[in-house]
Amino acid sequence: MMEVEGSNTSMNRSPQSSFVRSKALYQFKQQKLPACKPVLTPTSVITVFMLMGFVFIPIGFVTLRASRDAIEIVDRYDVECIPEEYRTNKLSYITDSSILKNCTRYLKVQKFMKAPIFIYYQLDNYYQNHRRYVKSRSDQQLLHGQEYSHTSACEPEESSNGLPIVPCGLIAWSMFNDTFTFTRESAKLKVSRSNIAWKSDREHKFGKDVYPFNFQNGSLIGGAKLDPKVPLSDQEDFIVWMRAAALLSFRKLYGRIEEDLEPGNVVVVNLMNNYNTYSFSGQKKLILSTSSWLGGRNDFLGITYLVVGASSIIISIIFMLLHLKNPRPYGDNSWNKKSLSS
Amino acid sequence: EALIDEITDKMERDLILLGATAVEDKLQNGVPECIDKLAQAGIKIWVLTGDKMETAINIGFASSLLRQEMKQIIINLETPHIKSLEKSGIKDEIELASRESVVKQIEEGRALLAASGASSEAFALIIDGKSLTYALEDEIKKTFLDLATGCASVICCRSSPKQKALVTRLVKSGTGKTTLAIGDGANDVGMLQEADIGVGISGVEGMQAVMSSDIAIAQFRYLERLLLVHGHWCYSRISSMICYFFYKNITFGVTIFLYEAYTSFSAQPAYNDWFLSLFNVFFSSLPVIALGVFDQDVSARFCYKFPLLYQEGVQNILFSWKRIIGWMFNGFISALAIFFLCKESLKHQLFDPNGKTAGWEVLGGTMYTCIVWVVNLQMALSISYFTWIQHIVIWGSIALWYIFLMIYGAMSPSFSTDAYMVFLEALAPAPSYWLTTLFVMIFALIPYFIYKSVQMRFFPVYHQMIQWIRYEGHSNDPEFVEMVRQRSIRPTTVGYTARRAASVRREDRFYDQFHNDLVAF
Repeated sequence: MMEVEGSNTSMNRSPQSSFVRSKALYQFKQQKLPACKPVLTPTSVITVFMLMGFVFIPIGFVTLRASRDAIEIVDRYDVECIPEEYRTNKLSYITDSSILKNCTRYLKVQKFMKAPIFIYYQLDNYYQNHRRYVKSRSDQQLLHGQEYSHTSACEPEESSNGLPIVPCGLIAWSMFNDTFTFTRESAKLKVSRSNIAWKSDREHKFGKDVYPFNFQNGSLIGGAKLDPKVPLSDQEDFIVWMRAAALLSFRKLYGRIEEDLEPGNVVVVNLMNNYNTYSFSGQKKLILSTSSWLGGRNDFLGITYLVVGASSIIISIIFMLLHLKNPRPYGDNSWNKKSLSS
Repeated sequence: EALIDEITDKMERDLILLGATAVEDKLQNGVPECIDKLAQAGIKIWVLTGDKMETAINIGFASSLLRQEMKQIIINLETPHIKSLEKSGIKDEIELASRESVVKQIEEGRALLAASGASSEAFALIIDGKSLTYALEDEIKKTFLDLATGCASVICCRSSPKQKALVTRLVKSGTGKTTLAIGDGANDVGMLQEADIGVGISGVEGMQAVMSSDIAIAQFRYLERLLLVHGHWCYSRISSMICYFFYKNITFGVTIFLYEAYTSFSAQPAYNDWFLSLFNVFFSSLPVIALGVFDQDVSARFCYKFPLLYQEGVQNILFSWKRIIGWMFNGFISALAIFFLCKESLKHQLFDPNGKTAGWEVLGGTMYTCIVWVVNLQMALSISYFTWIQHIVIWGSIALWYIFLMIYGAMSPSFSTDAYMVFLEALAPAPSYWLTTLFVMIFALIPYFIYKSVQMRFFPVYHQMIQWIRYEGHSNDPEFVEMVRQRSIRPTTVGYTARRAASVRREDRFYDQFHNDLVAF
């Protein structure tokens, strides 16, 4: 009895559902699907532009304020940190490893800067996004160390004196090696150099038991030397440098000042001007910047939001005036006039 | 013979007449309406048949190809002179005389055509198979074609299958226009193969026509739907699809090209390898396919109502160079907007509150997100027909991009290299990423939006006019519809609409005459 009922009900149900399904299929095949066919009426156009204006202008104000909240101190030091006698021959100065290249810069704080204050070094005219440069690394070697030997992409910085270089490649070889120490009124500022790289880099891309080996041992020194006793996953400067920059003017995070800076403070920066950007007329800058909820100081987004918001309101007003002034003609059929002659 | 006649004469006497039967080879259903619609769409219709001249003329009247006041130019070889020559049987003389007669008749016809000039008097050309053999000869066929294209309708009767094919070829190569041949019997096969499009009607006379045709339909009247609805849709879909393909690839490629200017042209792509490969597969392909297969700029009902929409295809309005270059230009400026806006807003400052600066992956990820949004929103802006299919593919492609970023980013770094965790760790938590994306996707679409709204409001194209009519609810208002239709300048001379219009004209003339008489009085 139960079985028969069950089959009865299932039979009752399936014609229903198959009817619905076949109706949908019929509509699909006959191209008669229920459709929404919006028309771009003047009302909707004006509404859209108005809406855009009223949404963009507040966003623009908020964004601009956030950007203005972030305070930045920019200091270009590569020209002035060369002593007078070497100004005409910068290249010989920078490549001479016997000269001590320390330099002192004074940064005056104009506004109150709240901790943490981020320290960046900026390089200009530096193509860290050049294809040959970007390819010149071995991710597997960074993760596994010397066991991984297919490092031909790292040419010519693959091996020196017959021994493999860890980490290999041009990116590693050209690591930035200027150093900065910060003092304020002869008291050293607390600078944190950890946690500056991406977390996923530290944990998954650079091996915890991979140590630098045979690094910067060749005749051409490109940049920094790495401590062979520290594993790569802890060498945060190195990790930050290995992330290729997007454009030819870029900043990389150096560290964080964990104290507030008052207006009027003078921060004394003792830096070692080691890195050679003179052979390709690059520029080096030191940046101190605070961050707002949005990020650093860049007025561009805020200003463009405001400009576009304002223009869209203007456009909507113009469109409304034009729409009210001209009655709509019933279409332009002049294209069909051609047919008379054919 | 004679004996049988004698006996039947003896038998068939004093019979009571019960009735009479006749067999009529009827026209199919809906043929006059179909011909009327096609004529309104600006399609010229010729009849090539094997029937004799009277039958063909009757069919012409039944299907409104011929009208009472149309001047009929008849070319045949039934003059007594030629008949007597045929009886005599001298081949050369018959040929000479026949050819001369055909040429003379063609010339007379052309003179008649030239004399009437621009008046709305329509002409019909009726030519039979025998004369057709001479008219299709190389020296004469050009003048024959001139005469035939000047007439509103052409009927070739008693034509053999070979002549049908030859006439089709003559029209195709002589006028350079697209020809469509429709037929249902084995004698139409040559014509069907010769024409640009061969349509076979399956049914009564077997399947030979169907087997040698490009398209098979069941009845003649389905030709109306085939041409006016599917023909128009196909044209509009394909032209939109091709223009959009160029647009989206130019948008994508130009951003990469612009980035090269900042990498000293070293061919470093702006995006991760898999991003590059999958752009045209996952993130922007389905909406275009949906556009090319399902889009309807005007619904079927309106395609029937406004047959002149078909001329959009004939005159290549939707695929003109202007439109193609316009779409490419749109792609170019979208790419410019995307690239420079992303570059400037993610410059070298820190882009998130934790101090990270925007590296290559971040810039690439942001630009790619903007491109996927812009390209899909552009699709949503440019179509005006949304079913659940379009919604799924457009919004789905965008959602797929985010899902892909997350999944790809979660794969081991040896596979995903530089895109490892780029979304979850760097992009998603940064408000500047979302703000930049929002701004760029709206900004890149503003030019097209302005263009389309201005066009729709001030200079609508024919199918947009029809969209307005539907939107404003005037579609059932016959006066309105007539006014829109009347703005077509092409006068129709064939079909019952033309017949009605001509009779209205006749009545008007009569009343004018009447009034003139009264006034004179």
